[in-house]
Amino acid sequence: MAKRFVFLVFTLWIAVTLNFLIPRMMPGNPAELMVRRIVGQGPVNPQLVHAVEIMLGLPVGSMAHQYVLYLGNMIHGSFGVSYTYFPYPVMQVIGQALPWTLALLGTTTIVTFVLGTALGAFAAWRRGSWFDTAATVTANFTATFPFFWIALMAIYVLGFLLHWFPINGGYGAGLTPGWNGTFLASALDHSILPALTIVVAGTGGWLFGMRNNMIHVLGEDYVRLAVAKGLGGHVIALDYGARNAILPNITGFAMSLGTLVGGSILVESVFGYPGMGYLLYNAVGDQDYPLMQAIFLLITVGTLLANFLADLAYGVLDPRARRGGESS
Amino acid sequence: MRDLTVAYASRRRHSSVTAVRGVSFDVNAGEFVGLVGESGSGKSTVAYALLRLLSGGGAVGSGQVVFDGEDLLALGPEPLRRRRWRDISVVLQSSMNALNPVLTVRAQFRDTIRAHAAMSSAAIEERIGELLDLVKIDRRFAAAYPHELSGGMKQRVAIALALVLRPRLVVLDEPTTGLDVVVQHAILADLRALQRKHGFAVLIISHDLGTVLMVSDRVLVAYAGRVVEDHPAAGLLEHPHHPYTRALLDCYADPEAEHVRITYIPGLPPDMGRLAPGCAFAPRCPRADERCRREDPLPRDIGDSRVACHHAEDPPVEGETAPGAYRSGASCVEARPRDERPAPPVLTVAGAVKTYRRRHQSVTALAGVTLTLAQGRVTALVGESGSGKSTLARLITGMERPDAGGVHFGDLDVTRLRGRALREYRRHVQMVFQDPFSALNPANSVLYTLMRPLGNHLRLSPREARSQALALLETVGLVPAETFGAKRTSELSGGQAQRVVVARALAAEPEILVADEPVSMLDVSIRAGILKLLDDLRTDRDFTLLYITHDLLSARLLADDVVVLNHGEVVEQGPADEVIAHPRHPYTRLLLSSIPNPRRARAV
Amino acid sequence: MSRILAPLALLWGNGRARIGLVMLGGFILMAVLAPWIAPYRPTYGGFAPMQPPSAAHLLGTTQLGQDVLSQLIWGARVSLMVGALAGGLVMLIAVVIGLVAGFLPGWVDDVLSLLINVALVIPGFPLMVVLAAYIPVHGVGVIILVLSITGWAWGARVLRAQMITLRGREYVTAAAFAGEGIVRIVFREILPNMTSLIAASFMGAAMGAILGEAGLEFLGFGNPQVVSWGTMLYWAENSSALLAGQWAWIFAPGLALALVGTAIAFVNFGIDVISNPRLEV
Repeated sequence: MAKRFVFLVFTLWIAVTLNFLIPRMMPGNPAELMVRRIVGQGPVNPQLVHAVEIMLGLPVGSMAHQYVLYLGNMIHGSFGVSYTYFPYPVMQVIGQALPWTLALLGTTTIVTFVLGTALGAFAAWRRGSWFDTAATVTANFTATFPFFWIALMAIYVLGFLLHWFPINGGYGAGLTPGWNGTFLASALDHSILPALTIVVAGTGGWLFGMRNNMIHVLGEDYVRLAVAKGLGGHVIALDYGARNAILPNITGFAMSLGTLVGGSILVESVFGYPGMGYLLYNAVGDQDYPLMQAIFLLITVGTLLANFLADLAYGVLDPRARRGGESS
Repeated sequence: MRDLTVAYASRRRHSSVTAVRGVSFDVNAGEFVGLVGESGSGKSTVAYALLRLLSGGGAVGSGQVVFDGEDLLALGPEPLRRRRWRDISVVLQSSMNALNPVLTVRAQFRDTIRAHAAMSSAAIEERIGELLDLVKIDRRFAAAYPHELSGGMKQRVAIALALVLRPRLVVLDEPTTGLDVVVQHAILADLRALQRKHGFAVLIISHDLGTVLMVSDRVLVAYAGRVVEDHPAAGLLEHPHHPYTRALLDCYADPEAEHVRITYIPGLPPDMGRLAPGCAFAPRCPRADERCRREDPLPRDIGDSRVACHHAEDPPVEGETAPGAYRSGASCVEARPRDERPAPPVLTVAGAVKTYRRRHQSVTALAGVTLTLAQGRVTALVGESGSGKSTLARLITGMERPDAGGVHFGDLDVTRLRGRALREYRRHVQMVFQDPFSALNPANSVLYTLMRPLGNHLRLSPREARSQALALLETVGLVPAETFGAKRTSELSGGQAQRVVVARALAAEPEILVADEPVSMLDVSIRAGILKLLDDLRTDRDFTLLYITHDLLSARLLADDVVVLNHGEVVEQGPADEVIAHPRHPYTRLLLSSIPNPRRARAV
Repeated sequence: MSRILAPLALLWGNGRARIGLVMLGGFILMAVLAPWIAPYRPTYGGFAPMQPPSAAHLLGTTQLGQDVLSQLIWGARVSLMVGALAGGLVMLIAVVIGLVAGFLPGWVDDVLSLLINVALVIPGFPLMVVLAAYIPVHGVGVIILVLSITGWAWGARVLRAQMITLRGREYVTAAAFAGEGIVRIVFREILPNMTSLIAASFMGAAMGAILGEAGLEFLGFGNPQVVSWGTMLYWAENSSALLAGQWAWIFAPGLALALVGTAIAFVNFGIDVISNPRLEV
C-alpha cells in the first residue's frame, strides 16, 4: 500500500520532469514561432521575440532555477498562458474541456473493462462454442482497427447516411452549457457515437486478455477439484474461474488504459468533441505549447491515478497481495 | 470398475494414445485399496476416469464405473453433480494448487457443503471445526488463505475437505508426493487411522510401493495401462505373482539390515503410442518367452489374487530371486563393506554460516557447519528440504559464498573465487543436478552438451572432444553412442537424461563430484540404475563423491560416511552402516522410521 | 536452417496463423510490386478531383486529382517499413533492457524494473504527440524515433519475466559448470529458448507501430508529401472526403491498416498457441 503510493508519487514526479525537459531538449523557440505566425513571412524582430517571451513567462535563468520555478508553478496549478486563447490562462481553457473527457473516457473505460472481461470470461467458459468463435474473431478485427477510422465510419454510416446521431461537437448549436434538460439531452445525444466508437474499438483487448487468463485458470487443479466437489456451474465459473482470472487483467490495466487514452484523443478529434483530446489536437495544430504541455501532464496524471486505483483494487481482490506486500 | 479403456487424442499427430487398456477392479465398502505404478502406467488416468474429470483430450472408450449398482459414466450432468463428493471425493496430487488462492479455507468448505446440503451457518461452522480437529489443524486456520498454510497443512486441509460430506469412497492421488518424508509419514498414518475410525473406502494412487503397502488392505499394480496384479497386501511381500511386482519389490530394501542391496529393472516402459503385440512387460521380463511376445496375458485368479501373466506360477528363473533372499549380480547395487583405510582430506568446510533474507525476515540455512570430504570416499549428506543441504552444495561448488566460515579445496580458498578462477575451479569440482530435464537445455543436442565442457576445461579440439564425448556416452551406458549423441536432450527419457547429466559432470575429469538428489525425480525402477552407475564410476575413476539426499536407503547403498543435517546444523555423522544401524540422534531415528519401506510397512 | 524452418512449419500448421501469414505475405508482395501493379503514379494529380469510385479509378480520386488506388498500393510501403523498422527498434530496446534486468538481479534489476514500470504507466500516445510536436522536422524518420522511445516497455516487461524464469533453470547453472562464459550462456543457452516470445513481441511492437504511425500522421505529424495510409487519411479528413461522397478514400486505407493488424494478430495467436498449448481451441 505504502509502496504503491510511493510509486504513484515517483511516477508523477517523472511525468512532471519529462514535461519540463522535453521542450528544453528540443531545438526551436516557441516565442519565435509565435511571432513568426503573427508576423507571417519576413524578418523576425528579436526584441519582439523577447517581449513575447516575457509576456508568456518563457524560460529565463539557469536550468536549475527554471526547474525550481517550474515545480513551484506546478504545485500552484499555474501552467502559464495559452497562446491561442491569449490572454486566458491554460488552466481556465482546460477547465472547460475536462468535464467532457472525464465523462466520456470515465464511462467508456468502465464499460469496456466490464464488457470485455465478462465476454472474455464467458468465451473461455464456453470454449469452442459458436459464441467463443464469434467473440474471438470479432474482437480480433475490432482490436486492430484504428480508433479514428472506426469513428470516421460511424460518422459516415450512422450520422451522415442514416442521420441517427449528430456527427460533430459536444452539444447542439445555440445551446448554452448548463444543468438543464435540453442541454443534457443534447450532450448525451452527441456523446453516443464517440462513446460507441471507443467501446467497439476498446473492448477487444480486455476480451482477449480475460479469455487467455480464464483458459489458463480453468486448467488449474483447484478448478478441477471444484468440479469434483459437485459445485454448481456458476460458482465454478465465477468464484473459482473469473475471480482468479481477473487478477492478471488488472495488472494489464496500464497498457489497455494507455491504448484507450491514446485512441480517445483521436476519437475526440474526429468528432470535434469538446474534450481534452480535441483540445490537444487543436493545440498541436496551433503550436500552442503551454496548452499542449498542460494537457499532456493532466492526461498523464489522470492515467497514473487510474492505475493507482487499479492497483488498490488488485490489493483488495488478491489476498496474496493483501498481507505479503507485493505478489510474486 | 469394469473393463475401462481410456484414450488421449493427440492433435499434433492426429492419432490417439490408449493410456488405460481394459482395467477392471473392485473397491469394497470400507476397504483401503492401493493402486501403484510408475509414470506412464495409466494409474492417474484411471482415477480421473473414475471421477469423470479427464482432461487434455482424454476420453473413455469403453467400460463402466459402477458405484452402488449405477454406472457413473452414464449419468447426466445434474445427477452426476449431486452425487459428486457425497459418494466419491478426492485429494489431488499437487496439494500446492488444489485450493482456490482467493478464497479462505472456510469459504471452500462452505461452498462445498452448500452445493449439497441445506445447513445453518452455525452448523457449517461447527462441522468445519470438527474436520480441522480431525486432521490436527488449529481451528483458527479456517480464516486463513491457502498461501498462508505450509505444504503439509494444505494437504491436511485438502483431506479434511474430502471428508466433509462423509463420502463412501475417497480417492487419494499421490497425496504425499512433494512433502518431506517425516510429514509424509505422519499424514499417511493419520489417514489410515481416520479411515479405520470412520469406515470409508479409499483408493490411494502412488508411484511408491512402500507408501501403498504401508496403508493398504489390497494392492493393484499397474503397468502400461493394465492392472497386472491385484493382490491382498498381507501376502504381497512374501508371494508376489507378477514378475513386475517381484522386480518392483526388489527396488526396495531395509537400510538398517546387515546386507543392503536393491535391483533395478532393465529397459524402459513401453511407448504407449506404439505398443507391440503380446505382454507389455515382456521386453524387460526375465521369464518372457515366445508366447509372451505373441499373446497378451489376460488376468486370471490365482488364490485370492488376480494376475495377468502366463508364467505367474513358474519357479524363479535365472536373474530372479526368491523374495527377500540375498543376491548379487549385474543389475543391483549393494552396500559395500566399510573401508577402514585412512584417506586424506580433499575439501574442508569450516564453520559455514549462511543466512537468506526474504521479505523482511531472515532464514538461517546453515548455522556453522563443519565438514571434511576424504579423498576417494563417498559422503552422504542427509536431510529434509530446508535442512541446508543444497545450500552447502552451493557453497562447496562456489555458486554462493558463506556469510562466515571457510571452504578450502587443498590450499585454494573457494569463497574468494570469481570469474576466471571460479571457472578454473570447476575443472576440479562438478555437479549432478536433481531434475535432469531442467539440467539439460532442450535446444541442444546430447553431443553438444558433452563437448562443451571438454573443450572449455580440457582444451580439446572439436574432433577430440567429439570422440571423447562418444566415449563418455558409452561409459554411462547410452549405447549406441552415435545414436544418443545425435538426439536432442528433450528426446531422452528421465533415466537417459540423468545419465547424460552424469556424463557431462565427468567430462572435465573432476576430483570431486557433488550429486544433489540425483535420483529423487526418477521412477523407482530406474533409480537403482543411476545409483549403480555412480557406484561403478567412482570405483573406476577414483573421484570423491558428495551425495546429497533425503533418502537414507540410497545413502546406505552408496556412502562410506553419512552426515545428517537438520535446520542448518550437523546432528550426527559417522560411517554409513553405523549411523544407520545404530542412530544416536533422535532426528536420525525419526528419518529412519519415516522411510516408506514395504518390508516394514505392515507394522503400522 | 531447420532452426528457422521448423518453427515456421509449426506456425503454418495452425489454421489462424496460416491465414495471418498469407495475408501478411500478400501485403508485403503488394508493397514490393507497387511500381508494377499500381495503375498510376501515386503523386500524379492530373485527373478530375474528388471523383467517387469508377471503372477508371476503382477507389476514386483525391482533392488534388490523384488516384486513390495507386496511393493505397504505394502507401503499403511506408506502413510496412515503419512497422518493420520501429517494431525492430522497439524490440531491440525491449530485449536489451528486459534481458539485462532479468539476468542481473540486485540493483541493476531494481533500477531497470522501475524504469519499465514507469514507462508502462505513462500513456504512450500523448507522449508521442508532445514529442513529435517539438521536433521541428516532420516525417517518417521522426515518427519511427518517437514510436521506438515510447513503445518498448511492455516487451521489456514480458522478456524480463521470461529471463528470470529461464535464468533459474538448472541448465544455465550447468552451463557455468561446463565452463561457459556469461555471453555464451545468454546467447547460446538462454536466447534460443526465448525465440517465440521475442517473435511475438516483435509482431506486437510492429502492429503498435503501424497503428501509432497512422494516428500521428492523421494528426498531421507526418510529412504530407509522403504517400502512406496515415497521410491518405489525413488528407481525406482535411478535405471533408466523407461529406463529399468520396467515402472510398477513407474506407480503403483504414481497412488496409486493420487487415495488416489482423494478419499480425493471427500470426501472434499462432505463436501463442505453439508456446502455450493450453490455449489451443
